[in-house]
Amino acid sequence: MILIVNTTSDNAITGELKRCIDEKTLEAEIVECASLKISHCIGCNYCWLKTPGECSIKDDYEIILKKIIHADQLWVISDTALGFIDHKGKNIFDRILPIATMYLKFKGDQMRHVPRYDQRTDIGIIYSGEVERDYMDRWTERAALNFESRSLGVFSKEQIKEAVSCMC
Amino acid sequence: MHVLIINGSPRIKKFSNTDKILGKFTKGLCENGTTFEQYEVSDKEQWDKMREAYYNNDNVLIALPLYVECIPGLLLEFLETLKPKNDGTKIAFILQSGFAEGIQLRCGEAYLEILARKLGCEYMGTLVKGDNFSIRFFEGEQQDRITEPYTEMGREYSKQGNFRSEDCKKFTGPEVFPAYVRFIVGLMQKTVAKKMFAKVAQNWGCTKAIDYKPYS
Repeated sequence: MILIVNTTSDNAITGELKRCIDEKTLEAEIVECASLKISHCIGCNYCWLKTPGECSIKDDYEIILKKIIHADQLWVISDTALGFIDHKGKNIFDRILPIATMYLKFKGDQMRHVPRYDQRTDIGIIYSGEVERDYMDRWTERAALNFESRSLGVFSKEQIKEAVSCMC
Repeated sequence: MHVLIINGSPRIKKFSNTDKILGKFTKGLCENGTTFEQYEVSDKEQWDKMREAYYNNDNVLIALPLYVECIPGLLLEFLETLKPKNDGTKIAFILQSGFAEGIQLRCGEAYLEILARKLGCEYMGTLVKGDNFSIRFFEGEQQDRITEPYTEMGREYSKQGNFRSEDCKKFTGPEVFPAYVRFIVGLMQKTVAKKMFAKVAQNWGCTKAIDYKPYS
């Protein structure tokens, strides 16, 4: 399943995505965050040490978390700020900590958290605005390590067709 | 020199590892007459004052924990409200993380250089160090053992006004662990570390296994 999380209020992007997805008859779910309440991560560590796998913040992020653990791909659509995805887009990634456990292991030459679930979710970014492209590519590759997966790439909203070609 | 210090951690001050690091850092910073004021991003009631201080100070230091390879969402939310300064303001960063190896923080560090440019400030470097996860679990001497090295870095910053010296670069420690260390640490993670985490969890009132799957 492909999970698409739209953190912008522009549903023209998801509208176009929907048309492309229907054409390709892909199995996808789209979550529009405009009507949802999603906080930032407060770094409490409860999801690792007090209520393992469960976030202490009871808001709509739980909807997304429950879908991520069954998704082959996660696409986050985000506005940009300061050359990067904006805080709403970043919050979607910061709050994935419950999918990791407190346990640590070496993956290659670097330490990583042991995943809580078997599912591996590749990640992709679709942005609206200006970003430092090289940095966004580097960051997305790095962020994928937290899913023990790989980056699907970074695409501007004008490159939706290219992004869809990476969806399967 | 007077420095505006922003603690960019989203965790409340009481439990903030970054705050404990700043406690030691500012001890060294103040020895030669440098003064500072500190604000917490975790407390939204301080945001207006913090923004005002950002416009009124020409030496800014942001200390932050690494969150998913970059800066925390909450700090980003605050920074999005700032206008670029373009007035010669100098900005430096302290980037800290739980992961211990230097390589883990490089992607975050790279962003901070971009950020300085976006804010219209002169980039004075980033003090990079990991292995800070356990600060909050210790008190007194045990906590000091982890945080005390930052005092020297505070002295260094007050002298140089930047984190570009060899000593600051060395402060990061190893970029990756050598294979034999990885072997030993890996083994420890499978054994003693698991027991230690279980003990902390128990103290926190946890009733589930650490690898419990609530949503499967």
